[in-house]
Amino acid sequence: MAPLMNLVRLRGFPILQQLHLEERMLRTSSSNWCIINDGTTSPTVVMGLSGKVPELVEAKSVLRDHIPVIRRFTGGGTVIVDQGTIFVTLICNKDDVSDVQPFPRPIMSWSGQLYDQVFKGLADFHLRENDYVFGDRKFGGNAQSITKHRWVHHTSFLWDYEVKNMSYLKLPAKAPKYRLTRDHTDFVCSMKEYLPRSEFVERTIKAIGAQFSVKSINLESTEIPSSSQFVHTTRLLTEQELLDACTIQT
Amino acid sequence: MLTRISHRKLWTSARRVLRPSLCRTSSARLPSPLSHSHTFSSSAFALRSTTYAYFDFNFLHWKRHCFSTQPALELPAGKIVDVPLAQTGEGIAECELLKWHVQEGDYIEDFQPLCEVQSDKATIEITSRYKGKVAHVLHVPGDIVKVGETLLKILVDETAFPSATVGDSEITKSLHSDQVLVNESASAIAALGNSNNAELLDSDLEKRKRAAVLSTPAVRSLAKQHGIDINEVCGTGKDGRVLKEDVLNFAAKKGIIVSVSAVLDADNVEKPRGAEGYTVTPEYKSPSEDRILPLRGYQRAMVKSMSLAAKVPHFHYVDEINCNALVELKTAFQKNNPYPDVKHTFLPILVKSLSMALTKYPALNSCFKEDSMEVILKGSHNIGVAMATPNGLVVPNIKNVQSLSILEITKELARLQQLASENKLTSEDISGGTITLSNIGAIGGKFGSPLLNLPEVSIIAIGRIQKIPQFDGNGNVYPVSLMTVNVGADHRVLDGATVSRFCNEWKQLIENPELLMLHLK
Repeated sequence: MAPLMNLVRLRGFPILQQLHLEERMLRTSSSNWCIINDGTTSPTVVMGLSGKVPELVEAKSVLRDHIPVIRRFTGGGTVIVDQGTIFVTLICNKDDVSDVQPFPRPIMSWSGQLYDQVFKGLADFHLRENDYVFGDRKFGGNAQSITKHRWVHHTSFLWDYEVKNMSYLKLPAKAPKYRLTRDHTDFVCSMKEYLPRSEFVERTIKAIGAQFSVKSINLESTEIPSSSQFVHTTRLLTEQELLDACTIQT
Repeated sequence: MLTRISHRKLWTSARRVLRPSLCRTSSARLPSPLSHSHTFSSSAFALRSTTYAYFDFNFLHWKRHCFSTQPALELPAGKIVDVPLAQTGEGIAECELLKWHVQEGDYIEDFQPLCEVQSDKATIEITSRYKGKVAHVLHVPGDIVKVGETLLKILVDETAFPSATVGDSEITKSLHSDQVLVNESASAIAALGNSNNAELLDSDLEKRKRAAVLSTPAVRSLAKQHGIDINEVCGTGKDGRVLKEDVLNFAAKKGIIVSVSAVLDADNVEKPRGAEGYTVTPEYKSPSEDRILPLRGYQRAMVKSMSLAAKVPHFHYVDEINCNALVELKTAFQKNNPYPDVKHTFLPILVKSLSMALTKYPALNSCFKEDSMEVILKGSHNIGVAMATPNGLVVPNIKNVQSLSILEITKELARLQQLASENKLTSEDISGGTITLSNIGAIGGKFGSPLLNLPEVSIIAIGRIQKIPQFDGNGNVYPVSLMTVNVGADHRVLDGATVSRFCNEWKQLIENPELLMLHLK
């Protein structure tokens, strides 16, 4: 009997709220959850938990253009997300995925195998270091958080992206080896050249369905962990923090 | 909140070694523990034997990982145990400590979350194996902790008064960027080694605990150099952090040093951590100390490519080229230069004439496939030019030189040089080369014996053009601008005769550049 996976399908859901929901699901629920958010709202910068604004973000531009900057509860790098980003999050009890050791690398590999199924026959998909690539170009970035009995592995997929939005981000000091000296436009690619959004979502749900018994849950359902009393780690950075970063950067 | 230490008995356990009193944790010059494996409080954390030491210290899972003993459960009450950062997965050598869920003095249950660390893309919660009281927290958020390093010390079962002294307390910190802060009170535990001074130490520790000072290892080292107790220095940095200037000002006030500004000026300026491909400048401690340089980016790539090149049987062919005509030509280009932002050098002319010679001797513009025993004669002349950048050696290439004019080559070369110096070369720029030119003469030297840039089969190193006297046919001395070249070739596919003929052809084109006009299309 395959373990149960609660599926929450969203579209255009604000990323801050999504991250809050994910964190509550990780820490207060004991069910398996899959969230698929087909595009968020306006462009938002999302940094990893230990991300430092002056190192990762062009603070001046971000302030000028009123781009929100979020620090999320999982590790990893910085992304700028918008309507062209598709999010897929998997929150699992380690015992329900018992053949996967609850450590970063095994979870990453397991996810790579899942998406192998999603893109089979459509594209030259690989898990390369910690990224999802077509050939040697990144189209999906990953982050995780591992607790005592559960873990979350979430991905932001570039279905499409605006080159000008990338200018809000600084070139990261830490980059994967396979990147070599490529700049952003040579390093990333978009999924839209390979398959339509809806097909990606359907294929993903199907791949998950091969390992779990998928049950669709509405956002309004009582099964969704409530936010009262919960102190979220993910937060929106204040204007002052961005101004401080500006000062450091000049 | 520290338990009083009995100084009646010295306790030695099989897994602990008493250490001499230590006052500092930050300096790498500390004597290393007598036996580092003893720092691990139990062989449950003997990482060498397993790939995965389970994070969730759930006893039931230990059996899977072949731990031979479970000593932690058998510890007599009142022991302080070291809790190290356990392995989080293959190839992960260190993690960043993000936050503590507990603080010193807290009572914790087994399996209670202790802290959160980050390794690469994952944040990981660490739970406690023990039930007891947090005795000492040894790192602050932001610290990079190596796998195996002690994270904190737990006094297991505080109900009984311990008859033992504390065990190993060495915290071997690795050298890392000076952004890391060390909490002074953590080092206090080191002083507990000598039980004879237990009472004294106890109060000393209390004092240290109260005076917990934040500062970087470099600043602590500086204070030590001047014989200053860093706890006495008033910190003016963020959160009361003691900065270098604070130590120097304190020293000046004490009359230890004469001029603060002189000391500050004399120090090296720390280079900032650059983008990918930059070498990390290690912390500068003193001239006679070893420095560890991790190889990244271009330097790392060089290790790989040169190791491969060394496997190829090279031969080197050396010749001298009279560059009088070349010098004249370059001067002529400069004089009649309609493009003020274009700077004419020798290299583009050499590159173009090289391409002309390759047309006649395509074997030198090829690549060898060992598995299929095939030589591919490349149609394009993508001539690579070795460049020394602040980040290391890189070889971008000029594509299709056979179709480019000398002016176009000059501009393309300038473009690549600019990108190389800014570390902005694309993979397109550095791949697809068919032959390489190394102008080592630009820096100095007569000639070098270059190593092939695989999968190419030849490489040419050109030395500095030197003015030397030569005899003409009548025995008269005249000055000649001479350039020595060394052609390195893959002897599996090229023989001396071919290379020699090719070199003669190229030499002729350089010594008689008017011949280039003959081939103008």
